[in-house]
Amino acid sequence: MSVAAAASSGSGPRLRGRLRHWWLRRLAAPMGHSLPQRRLFLIPTRFGLGWAVLVVVLLLFGINYQNSLAYGLAFWLFSVGVVVLLRGWLNLLGVVPELRMPREAFAGGEARLKVLLRARRDRTALELHCAGVRGRGDILDGRGETELALPVPRRGVQALPWLRIESRWPLGLVRVVAWVHHDAELLVWPHPLEEDEPAVHRGGADLEASDFEGLRRFQPGDSPGRVAWKQWSRTGVLATKAFSVPPHRQLWLDYAACRGDPERRLSVLCARVLAHHRAGDRYGLRLPGLTLAQGEGEIQRRRVLDALARFRPTRPEGGA
Amino acid sequence: MSVRRPVRLAAPAVLADGRGLSGGMLRQLFIGQCLVLALHLAWMPAWLVALALAVAGYRLVQLRRGLPRAGILLRLAAVGGLVLALWLQFGTLGSMDGLVGLLLGVYLLKLLETHDRRDARVVVVIGLVTTAVAFLHDQGIPMAAGALLAVAWLLQSLVWLSGATGLRQAWRETAWLLVLSAPLMALLFVTFPRLGPLWSMPQMDRASTGLTDEIAPGDIAQLSRSDARAFRARFEGREPAPDERYWRVYTLSHFDGIRWSRATPDQLAVTLERPVDAFVREAARSPWQSQEGARFSAELLLEPDSRPWRPSLGTPLESDSRQRFLADGTLEGLAPLSSRSLLRLSSSGAPPANPDPAGARWHRLLPDDANPRTRALAKRLWREAGGDPDAYLAAMMARFGEAPYRYTLSPPRLVGEHRVDDFLFDSQAGYCTYYASAAAVMARMAGIPARVVAGFLGGERHPDGHFTVRDYDAHAWVEVWRDGAWRRLDPTAVIAPERIEQGAQAVDEGGEAFLADARFSPLRMREVGWVNRLRLEWERLEYRWQRGVVGYQRESRRSLMAQLVGWWREAWARLDARLPGRGAMATALGLMAVLVAAAGLVLLVQRGWQHRRRRRDERWLVGDLQAWLARHGLAGRAGESPAAHLRRIAPRAGPAGWALEECARDLERLAYAPLEEAERRQRRHRLANRVAEVRRRLPRRRPGPGGAGA
Repeated sequence: MSVAAAASSGSGPRLRGRLRHWWLRRLAAPMGHSLPQRRLFLIPTRFGLGWAVLVVVLLLFGINYQNSLAYGLAFWLFSVGVVVLLRGWLNLLGVVPELRMPREAFAGGEARLKVLLRARRDRTALELHCAGVRGRGDILDGRGETELALPVPRRGVQALPWLRIESRWPLGLVRVVAWVHHDAELLVWPHPLEEDEPAVHRGGADLEASDFEGLRRFQPGDSPGRVAWKQWSRTGVLATKAFSVPPHRQLWLDYAACRGDPERRLSVLCARVLAHHRAGDRYGLRLPGLTLAQGEGEIQRRRVLDALARFRPTRPEGGA
Repeated sequence: MSVRRPVRLAAPAVLADGRGLSGGMLRQLFIGQCLVLALHLAWMPAWLVALALAVAGYRLVQLRRGLPRAGILLRLAAVGGLVLALWLQFGTLGSMDGLVGLLLGVYLLKLLETHDRRDARVVVVIGLVTTAVAFLHDQGIPMAAGALLAVAWLLQSLVWLSGATGLRQAWRETAWLLVLSAPLMALLFVTFPRLGPLWSMPQMDRASTGLTDEIAPGDIAQLSRSDARAFRARFEGREPAPDERYWRVYTLSHFDGIRWSRATPDQLAVTLERPVDAFVREAARSPWQSQEGARFSAELLLEPDSRPWRPSLGTPLESDSRQRFLADGTLEGLAPLSSRSLLRLSSSGAPPANPDPAGARWHRLLPDDANPRTRALAKRLWREAGGDPDAYLAAMMARFGEAPYRYTLSPPRLVGEHRVDDFLFDSQAGYCTYYASAAAVMARMAGIPARVVAGFLGGERHPDGHFTVRDYDAHAWVEVWRDGAWRRLDPTAVIAPERIEQGAQAVDEGGEAFLADARFSPLRMREVGWVNRLRLEWERLEYRWQRGVVGYQRESRRSLMAQLVGWWREAWARLDARLPGRGAMATALGLMAVLVAAAGLVLLVQRGWQHRRRRRDERWLVGDLQAWLARHGLAGRAGESPAAHLRRIAPRAGPAGWALEECARDLERLAYAPLEEAERRQRRHRLANRVAEVRRRLPRRRPGPGGAGA
C-alpha cells in the first residue's frame, strides 16, 4: 500500500484524511534519524506461518512417537523462530536513512532517488519501497546506498511518497517494517519537446577561441598546451597564452511566442533551454508574471528549468 | 584506517528478477538433500541415491543447455515410478518403511519443479520433516550429530534465500541463529510437559534380534556370532555378582524330541482348557510372587525389538508401569518397542517360588520313543541314586563335568532323530543349549518337573557402573521344581565355569565362532588397551545420551523437575536466611536489588568499554569534541572539515586555543600521514589529552557574536 497516497489524498473526507495522516505519522519514523524501537513493526510472512505449522507438526510427531529427538527438533525450530524475530528486529533497528534528491528529473522519465543508509553495525538485505518501486540495500562498514528509479509522469512540484524500509533477514519468517516520513518534494521539469524546425542554429562553429590576445601570468591548473614555453625558456617566468572567447548569442525564450496548450509550450521551452545551454548561449526567460534575466551556464539552466517546473498557468488558454 | 575484512561475494541465491533461483542455490538444495538422505540410508534402499543423482543431473543438464522445465508428464511418470519401485521393494506402501520411502522420494523429486524462492523454501521445509522422520530409525549420538549438520545446512539455505551476499555471512548468521536458540531449546526440552501418544500412528517394523522363543541345539551359537546390544542395565543398590547375572527372558516347557519351544499363555490356555488369566496378568507388580524377596532394583535401557520380551534378573516383582506378568516368572511388555526405552524393574535374583499353573504333569511331558539311550542312562542313574531326586540330579551334573564332555562354540552338527542321544553318547561336545536340553530331558525322564530357561548370562560392567548385555551373552539353563520352588540348574557351570565367571569371550575352544559375524567389532580388540578405553568411553557417552536425552520421557522429566524445584527452594531458603527482614516480600525485594545492581554494573562496564574503544579512534574523539563545542555555541559550519573547524575557533578560544591548534594538527597527521603504528598510538594518546585540555580550558561563558578577542 502506498502510505503517501493515503497521506496526501485530500479529496476524501478531510477529517478522516487528517486523522489517518496523523495516525500514520505516529507510526512512521522521521527521515535522517535512526529508526527507533517503537517504530519497527514485526509482521509474520506466509512462510513464517508455514514455519509455525511445521513446528506444531514436528511436536505432534514427537508426542505420538514418544521421540525425544523429534521433540528437540521441534523446540529448536521454534527457538530459531524466536531468535529470528530478534535478529530481524536488530537488523533494522538504528538504521539512519537519508534521502538524496535527484539532481534532475524530466516529466515522463524517471527520478533517480538515492537513499543513503547508515548504521553502526553491518546490515543485510534491507528492502526499500517507495511508490511501488523496490530497491535493495546492504550496509557494509557503516554505510550503504540504494537507488530507486521512480517514474514521474507529470511536471511540477510533487510530494514524494513516504519511504518504507523492510527486512526479511535472516530466514524470511518475519517482515520487519518501518515507515519513514519526510517532507521532501520532487521538482519535476517539463518533458523536453523538440520542435519540428530546429530553433537553435549552431552559429558559433567558426567562433572558436582561437584569436591570440596576449600573455597572462601562469596559474596552477592552466593547460600545459597553453603555457608559453618559449617565454619561459627566455625569461624563466611561466606565462599562459590567453585567447579571446567568441561572443555568445544573446536571446530571450518567450512563453508568449510559443504555440499550443501551456504544457506543450513549457515542454518546447524546456527543449530549447537544453539546446541553448549546450550551445553555450546567453538566454533569459519570459513567462507570464515572471522574467528571468539573461545568463548562461549551469546555474542559469537550473534557474530557468526550475521556473518552468514551478510555473502555474493562470488561465487555461494562454494569451496571444 | 580500520582493517576492512574481506567480503567474499558469491553468486546470489536468487536471480535479479527477485524470484528465479540461481544454479548455486540449486546446488545448495541438492547438498541439503544428500545430507538428509544420508541420515536414512542405513535403513532405506540404496537406489534412492541414484534417484537423487538422476534428479540433480536432470536439473544440471536443463540449466546448462537452457532446456524447458520438466513437464507434468515427466513429473507424473517420476512419481509413478517411485511408487512402483517402493511397492516392489517393500511389497506394500502402507508399512512405515514404505511411507518413509515415499516421503524421501517426494523430497528428492521436488527438486524437479523447484524454480523460485517459494519452491526452494518448500523443499527446505520438507527436508526438515524428513530429518525428523529419520529419528524413527535411531536416536543415537551419530544420528543426532548428522541431523544437526543437516539442519544447519538447511537453515543456511534459508539464509541464502533471504538475501545473504557471501558464504561467510551466511554461515555466521546460521551460527548465530543456532547458538542463540540453543538455550531456549534446552529450556523447552527440559520443561515442556511430556504427553502420551495422542493417537496411534503406523510404527516402524523392527527386525527380531536376540533371543528366539524356540531353541534346538545349534541356535544360540548364532547369537554368539553377533555383538549387537541386547539391553543395558544400571542397578540401584547392590549389583549382582558374576554368577548371579542370570537374566531370565523365556521359559521353554514344550519338548518335541528335537527342540524346546515356548508355550505362550494363549497356547497353554487352549491346550489345558483354562482361562488365559491363569497364566498371565497385566499389572505393575507381580501377582504371582510376594514382594518380600526383592533384592535387585534395575533400570533397564531396552533396544527396540519386534517382540515384547523384557529381561529380568531372576523373577520380576515390580515395575514402574503396567506389564504382563507371566505365571512362569517372566515378563512381557504390553507392546513391542519401536525405539529404545527405559524400564525400572525390581526382581528377586532367584528362580520363581510359585508353582507353574500349567501343572507338574505339563513339565514332565516327553515323547515316548525319542532318545532311547538317554532313557536307559536316566534309569541307571535313578537306580544308583536310590530314588532320591537330589542325588539323581547331582549325579547327572557330575557326569557332565567328566572328561569326555567339552564346551565348544562350534560343535559338530547333529542331524539325527535322537539328538540328545547323539549329543550325550557320540559327539559329547556342545554349548549351553546342548547341555541344558539334555539336562532337562534327563530330569523329566526321572519324573522331575523341568523346563529350559532362555535368557542372558553376564554382561559387561562398564567403569561408570552400567552393564551392557549383548547378543553373545545369550544363554540357556534349566529349572527344576524341587521342594516347593523352582531351582536353577546350569550344566554349563560345571563344564565351562569360565563362561559363567568371565563371559562368552573367555571360552577358548571353538572361539573362532565368537563374533564371527562382527569382524570389525571393537569388541574383538579388548586386549588393545587404548582401543578398549576408547570403546568404553564411547559406550559411556552413548549410554548417558540414551538415558538422559532419548529416555527423557514422563518419568525422568518428573524427577528432574522435582529436583530442580528442590534446588530452587533450597537456594531461596538460603537467600531468605541471608537477607535482612523476613518473609517472601523482603526476599523478593532483596533479589530485585541484587539484579538491579548487577544490571547497573553490566551497563557501567559496557559504557567503560565503549569509552575505551572511542578513545582509540581519533574520529570519535574529535567528533565528541565537536559536539561538545556545538553545545557551547561554537558549532562547526556546514561542509567544514573537523580540522578547519577547530582552527577557525582557535583564536577565539582563549587559553584553549593552543590545544585546539594541536588537536587539528594531530588529527590531520593521523588522518593523512603514513605513520608507523607506534607513532600513531602515541599521537592518538596525545590527541586524547589535548581534547581533555580543550574541555578544561575553554572559557565557560558563552561567547557572543562579537566576543572574539576575549
